[in-house]
Amino acid sequence: MSAARQAIKVGTKNVRPVLSVNHGEAKRRVLNLYKAWYRQIPYLVKDYDMPKSEEQCREKLKEMFLNNKHVSDIRVIDMLVIKGQMELKEAVNLWKQKGHMMAYFKPTEEPKPKDFLSKFFSSNE
Amino acid sequence: MLRQPLSRALALSSPARVAPLAARRYADAVPAQPEKVEVFIDDQPVHVLPGTTVLQAAAQVGVEIPRFCYHERLAVAGNCRMCLVEVEKSPKPVAACAMPVMKGMRVKTNSDLTRKAREGVMEFLLVNHPLDCPICDQGGECDLQDQSMAFGSDRSRFTDIHFSGKRAVEDKDVGPLIKTIMTRCIHCTRCIRFASEVAGVDDFGTTGRGTEMQVGTYVEKMFLSELSGNIIDLCPVGALTSKPYSFAARPWETRRIDSVDVLDPLGSNIVVATRTNEVLRILPRTNEEINEEWLSDKSRFACDGLKRQRLVTPMLKDSRGNLAPVEWEDAVVAAARALRDCPPDKLLAVAGGLADAEALVALKDLLNRLGSEHVCTEHYFPTQGAGTDLRSSYLLNTKIANVEDADFVLLIGTNTRFEAPLLNARIRKAFIHKETDVALVGPKVDLTYEYTHVGDSASIVKDFASGTSSHEVMKRLQQAKRPVVILGADQLKSEEGPALLAYTQELAHKLQENLQDKEWKVLNVLQRTASQVAALDIGYQPGVGQALAAGPKVVYLLGADSGVVTRESLPEDVTIIYQGHHGDVGASIADIVLPGAAYTEKRATYVNAEGRAQQTLVAVSPPGKAREDWKIIRALSEVLGAGLPYDTLDEVRDRLSQVSPALVAYGDVQPNNYFAQARALAQSLQKPVSGKLDVQLKQLEDFFMTDAISRASPTMAKCVQAVLKQKNSPY
Repeated sequence: MSAARQAIKVGTKNVRPVLSVNHGEAKRRVLNLYKAWYRQIPYLVKDYDMPKSEEQCREKLKEMFLNNKHVSDIRVIDMLVIKGQMELKEAVNLWKQKGHMMAYFKPTEEPKPKDFLSKFFSSNE
Repeated sequence: MLRQPLSRALALSSPARVAPLAARRYADAVPAQPEKVEVFIDDQPVHVLPGTTVLQAAAQVGVEIPRFCYHERLAVAGNCRMCLVEVEKSPKPVAACAMPVMKGMRVKTNSDLTRKAREGVMEFLLVNHPLDCPICDQGGECDLQDQSMAFGSDRSRFTDIHFSGKRAVEDKDVGPLIKTIMTRCIHCTRCIRFASEVAGVDDFGTTGRGTEMQVGTYVEKMFLSELSGNIIDLCPVGALTSKPYSFAARPWETRRIDSVDVLDPLGSNIVVATRTNEVLRILPRTNEEINEEWLSDKSRFACDGLKRQRLVTPMLKDSRGNLAPVEWEDAVVAAARALRDCPPDKLLAVAGGLADAEALVALKDLLNRLGSEHVCTEHYFPTQGAGTDLRSSYLLNTKIANVEDADFVLLIGTNTRFEAPLLNARIRKAFIHKETDVALVGPKVDLTYEYTHVGDSASIVKDFASGTSSHEVMKRLQQAKRPVVILGADQLKSEEGPALLAYTQELAHKLQENLQDKEWKVLNVLQRTASQVAALDIGYQPGVGQALAAGPKVVYLLGADSGVVTRESLPEDVTIIYQGHHGDVGASIADIVLPGAAYTEKRATYVNAEGRAQQTLVAVSPPGKAREDWKIIRALSEVLGAGLPYDTLDEVRDRLSQVSPALVAYGDVQPNNYFAQARALAQSLQKPVSGKLDVQLKQLEDFFMTDAISRASPTMAKCVQAVLKQKNSPY
């Protein structure tokens, strides 16, 4: 009996929050990050001389945020926000180069072949 | 006949030279052991048999005494003096390699006297040895280099104040395989002893004495042996080095991958040395049950053929009838279309001599899925009687290591010297050290030892089998306690093949029945290629004659390069698909070429003539677009819509073990039986025979180029030229 209780206790252990204590707060942080990026887009396009329109960049921004829409763990959301802020700082301070910015638009790695035949045709394995 | 100098007989029959117990189950042949004596090596007591040398006794307690001339598989020479050790109550240091132990002997292998003796020997050796280590091919694997670091003095007294220079000796020309720099020779005589004892070529010797002593052939002569490369490994210094490998690499730069040789049916164990994805050389790997530590010249030096004549891209015949390189997709689709459009009974697959078991089983499964049973090997084996159903009918049942223990060997239609050089070395070893006698039915050839030539008529075998022969060999066979009968598989090709096999089985059975040792196997069939046993185990039909006569529409050649399938023997509209690694006979007649991997480029299973499964490992990657063989067949099957149910090597091996567990029992030989049943089934085949037995490989020049790899090898071509040139020389 006590063992089971302990197991439940472990299962529902309270963890130390990264930044936010509840979903509302986490959501606010995400939206703030989104807005910060959104506002920087015109400057980024100009500074990095990106061959993309602001419209396209805003779409990419939205797409990249929506890539993580399935994430529900507050701590993970917070971590992603922190990383996003770091990226933003790098971008705004011109620590990145044009290629880094354009990398958002082109995923370089092609999916590895999974089945036998495509593995056979694609590589020397 | 005196087969060895008397002085050597003692050392050679000492127990340490006997193969480990696992290799020989017939240890009762050794007479009752006398009582052991106790000796002390560096105050460690050790019990050894009388007659053991000090050096062997020291090895038993893990003390290695430095040596140059001593080699455990050769007679003791005792001339390098490097193994001098102090023995208590002996006035002088003694040579450990030649000194038999005595009761209560106290040996000091690390005393001041011993060390001083070694230093002295080292100094004398180095006075006459050139300081050319930086340009010497032996550098890094040189015994002299290593031992001078370990046991030599730290300074030299050699000053050469008169500038007379060191001893210099003219280099000898002993053929295209061995480079000699005789100035480096320290006269250990290992090469001389190997040549006369193991290789059976008594050409090497010494001339002159003292500083004038030279090792050589006296007159300039090629070392005409199929085992010549081994003296390169034996030479403790850089006097004999490999010509094809000269100045190619240092030993510490190469990666060494353990593998198995496929150029003869014995499956010798090898080490493949590679660098930058290139096979640089092949060395033997010790396996007491197969090749001891020797390797035949073809296995060792044909590796440069792996870089020539390779198929590196899939090819299709274009509109003008020339093979043109294409992508894998196109080639596989073309091959699949040809296979699909062909009625199953017009489909034929032929496996060649270098095919691995994985590819063999995949190809058979594919053809079976397409509804065809026509999977054949190039080499024939009689299918009448028991055929290939009983494994003992087509294997070397005695096993290679046990041949040493035989007291009479009868060879029928086989030149073991060139068909299986290391088996021949075993027979020679038995002949020299164990008084084994050999008889041969077949053409008169040089086997490197004396034998009774019974004749070359097939009817001799019949007379032996029926017991009507009055030949002296018949009596010897009947008296023998451990007779061995070896039948060359090449003889079975002819019309009389089934009868010959039946008679041999009859003979072996009669001999076996009278033996006291019921475990001893008499019947042996020596296959010619590395793939044949695995193919027969998997269920391939031996021989293509019948299948070709049926007029196939599509022929799938899996490395079939021996030339038994030709355009002339096939209908005009046939499509030939060739899968293999060399542009040889098979590829030249093909419509579709699928490049495969050679034995150094894939992890694959090969079953040797004894029925021992062994695997090669990947040493280098296949060149260009070449792929592992079973994968090509697997990919083809999927495009055909008859997908084979394995995606990984482990799954293919599971399939192999379903077919026969022996195929994946790596390193083991399964015991074979049912000799009596095979003989009973074959009894109706005992028809009169009248033909003559002939062997394909008669002379040394026939030996070097026998398969796709060795035919592509420039070194092997040079060997053939050199042998022919030597034949014309007056010596």
